[in-house]
Amino acid sequence: MTKQHPGCWHCGEPLQAGYVVHARIAGHSRDLCCHGCQAAAEWIEQLGLADYYRLRTQPGLKPLATQDSGCLDDGLWSRPESSRHVVRDLGAGRREVLVLIAGVRCSACVWLIERALGAIPGVVSVQVNASSRRGRIVWRDADTTLPQLLQMLARTGYHAWPLDARGLDDARRSESRDALKRLLVAGFGTMQAMMYATAVYLGSVDSLDASTRELLRWLQFLVAIPVVFYSARPFFAGAARSLRSRQLGMDVPIAFAIAAVCIASLIETLRNSGEVYFDSITMFIFILLASRYLEMRARHHAGELTDALARLTPPYADRCLEDGRLERVALHELRSGNCVHVGEGAIVPADGILLSERCRVDESLFSGESAPVIKRRGDRLVAGSVLEDGPVQLELEHIGADTALGGIVALVDHAQAQRPQLQRAGERATSRFVARVLTLTAFTVVAWCLVDPSRAFPAAVAVLVVSCPCAFALAVSAAITRALATLAQRGVLVVRANAIESLAQATHVVFDKTGTLTQSSLTLADVDTFRGVSISEALQLAASLARHSRHPIARVIAASEPLADGSSARNVTVHAGLGISGLVAGRELRLGRRDFALPSDCVPPPDDDALVLADNGGPIAAFHLREQLRSSALTACDALRTQGMALLIASGDSPSHVGAIAARLRITDWRARMSPAQKLAWLNDLRSGGAHVLAVGDGINDAPVLAGADVAIAMAEGAELAQVSSDIVLSNTRLDAIAPARTIARQTLAIVQQNQQWALFYNLTAMPLAALGLVPPWLAAIGMSVSSLGVILNTMRIGRAPEDRAAPPVSSALPQRMRSA
Amino acid sequence: MSVLVFMIPLSLLFLAAAVAAFFWAVDHDQFEDLETPGLLPLDDSPERGLEHE
Repeated sequence: MTKQHPGCWHCGEPLQAGYVVHARIAGHSRDLCCHGCQAAAEWIEQLGLADYYRLRTQPGLKPLATQDSGCLDDGLWSRPESSRHVVRDLGAGRREVLVLIAGVRCSACVWLIERALGAIPGVVSVQVNASSRRGRIVWRDADTTLPQLLQMLARTGYHAWPLDARGLDDARRSESRDALKRLLVAGFGTMQAMMYATAVYLGSVDSLDASTRELLRWLQFLVAIPVVFYSARPFFAGAARSLRSRQLGMDVPIAFAIAAVCIASLIETLRNSGEVYFDSITMFIFILLASRYLEMRARHHAGELTDALARLTPPYADRCLEDGRLERVALHELRSGNCVHVGEGAIVPADGILLSERCRVDESLFSGESAPVIKRRGDRLVAGSVLEDGPVQLELEHIGADTALGGIVALVDHAQAQRPQLQRAGERATSRFVARVLTLTAFTVVAWCLVDPSRAFPAAVAVLVVSCPCAFALAVSAAITRALATLAQRGVLVVRANAIESLAQATHVVFDKTGTLTQSSLTLADVDTFRGVSISEALQLAASLARHSRHPIARVIAASEPLADGSSARNVTVHAGLGISGLVAGRELRLGRRDFALPSDCVPPPDDDALVLADNGGPIAAFHLREQLRSSALTACDALRTQGMALLIASGDSPSHVGAIAARLRITDWRARMSPAQKLAWLNDLRSGGAHVLAVGDGINDAPVLAGADVAIAMAEGAELAQVSSDIVLSNTRLDAIAPARTIARQTLAIVQQNQQWALFYNLTAMPLAALGLVPPWLAAIGMSVSSLGVILNTMRIGRAPEDRAAPPVSSALPQRMRSA
Repeated sequence: MSVLVFMIPLSLLFLAAAVAAFFWAVDHDQFEDLETPGLLPLDDSPERGLEHE
């Protein structure tokens, strides 16, 4: 009975049949999926910021209930010992904080946050960066407080975690600024040097008097100085570092080539004879810096592991004092052996032993199991899991990095370190090439010294220049850059550049189930009614009972029907693990598993997984809950199968659930109830069998698998830790983007190969001629430009192949919104 | 060719000015976020908020 709705106006999730709330936004009535979204939408409207819905390109984040978010605690952030670590005092009553904001999905979110916070009196400045999801807020202490700011963000639908104040002097920020400056200086220097060089080259065809020629040479030297001494400094520093550690890294030949060509050109300038190559060397530096800059941007985008950890555990805990009172402390103040109090719906702050009688926790972060686990006194609770009912007390055993969660992070780190470093292989190839060029140059010098010492020097420099590894350097970096841009347009963000190569080579795809192939929450798929009861009547009755439980299945039922007047239940009893019973409108009702609802079992069982509502006269209705398959999952699986990939599912969930999903996707090879370590072991088995594995996942439990695969894809709405340990992030969570992405990756590899063959052909032709002293400088310059131009033109073909037309780029969500309006 | 004696120093002067301007821009957060400002002109409502900046 699930009907097709256009989805919630605020968060875009499918609307549940029969349960829709409304809000008036910008003069229109909009359908929303829950009261949280309604509150957020109305709040945004109240602030006069409804333009957000027009500007955004991604749906908003579904707001959590405030007690779940764990970040809204005024008690904590007003305590000086907690806020000291996150707030920086700028003097004159001004404070600065760096927050990580969950749910920032596009530029419109940034706009909304900056407007909403900016409207608070006392806020001096707000800067939000959409790609790093960080916000920097400066406020005047006298007018507002940090908890107020966080509260405002939460009401707008964003959850913000204050980050360590040391992050304010962000190393990444200064690194990227430095790189940008060096790149620009190299670019300007190259343009100027080329301008003067062109005059000299033209002058060697026409006539140019000797004094002007000398002037132009000195000018080239002048503009090359900042490029070599400022822009190229990272290469020299890198070369010095690797020489100190007695390795021949990529920087060594580069630094050597730069130094050699520069010194040679300077000597020629001083002698006022021969040729100078300042234009070539500055361009060489510029191109190398450009490719490194792009690489660095991608790396920064990937985020940091520590941030992910910061989001998974709450920033504070309630410590039980000896006299029975609770003391709210920051996480880093906890010690092993402390007793802490965890409220219902809160996140467990650290690993510990349960002191209370029993409780139910959601450990889906670790196990992937969608149903909560029951814990009894003496059982162990792990940090990062969510308490479904409570409150409970636990005695802490492990804190911070020693927790199970910390262990998973370490596992991710380890798997990442073992990742095959394809990029290094590429660097080694270029490094070998440069080494060979240097050898050839040495031979040239020796040979010419025997024949005609006066020509030795110009010929050696000509070899260095004509072989200028531009075409080689461009062959890979231009193709990768073009591929990254093409993929990003399709919602496929490549975080690590070497992922393209591994994606093209992948032979097996391992999917996680929950949250990847299916949507994260259960939905009510179907209702069978008995004895002439209508579906909405049955839902009314069930919902009035279900409202009294926090069990996730009960919550689905409760959310599927708005509460009607007079239908509240009395004498409700929750039978743990079985169901709920109570009096509704004078009838005694039971809602739960079939054997609980129908103890006498007088009717043939409708379905074993179904939830049954019954009274003393027999069954009233059966509710079928199902994990909803992502709409793109089936087409994605078919497309990948057509490409000849083997599809597999590795899940922590129970065999019956995994089997059902696998059957619907026609995947025969699946495994259920796997721990992260088992998944990793299976993956390693596959890989040792010669398979190149592509892993697709979204949860924390997938993080080690993602990190250990040859190439990993994470869903953008999934856990931060999963995104950090993956190579590719699907920003629109459309699985059917994977197959076209693989096509592009294969095309990119083919083009890289063509480029390299072309560069090799050019070098093999040009270098011997240069070594023989037959190449005049103007011809070397033209040859170099033509070879580079050929590489770039060839590269532009990426993403234009006819087979791509079947999958057009994903258009922005804006026009869709307009249509649905 | 004597015009070069004036033109070249002049072009170098411009170059230095351009580099200085760019360094200033980088240091003043002009390249931190290249997406959001593009959306702001689409907002046709009267200026709200951020009046403190």
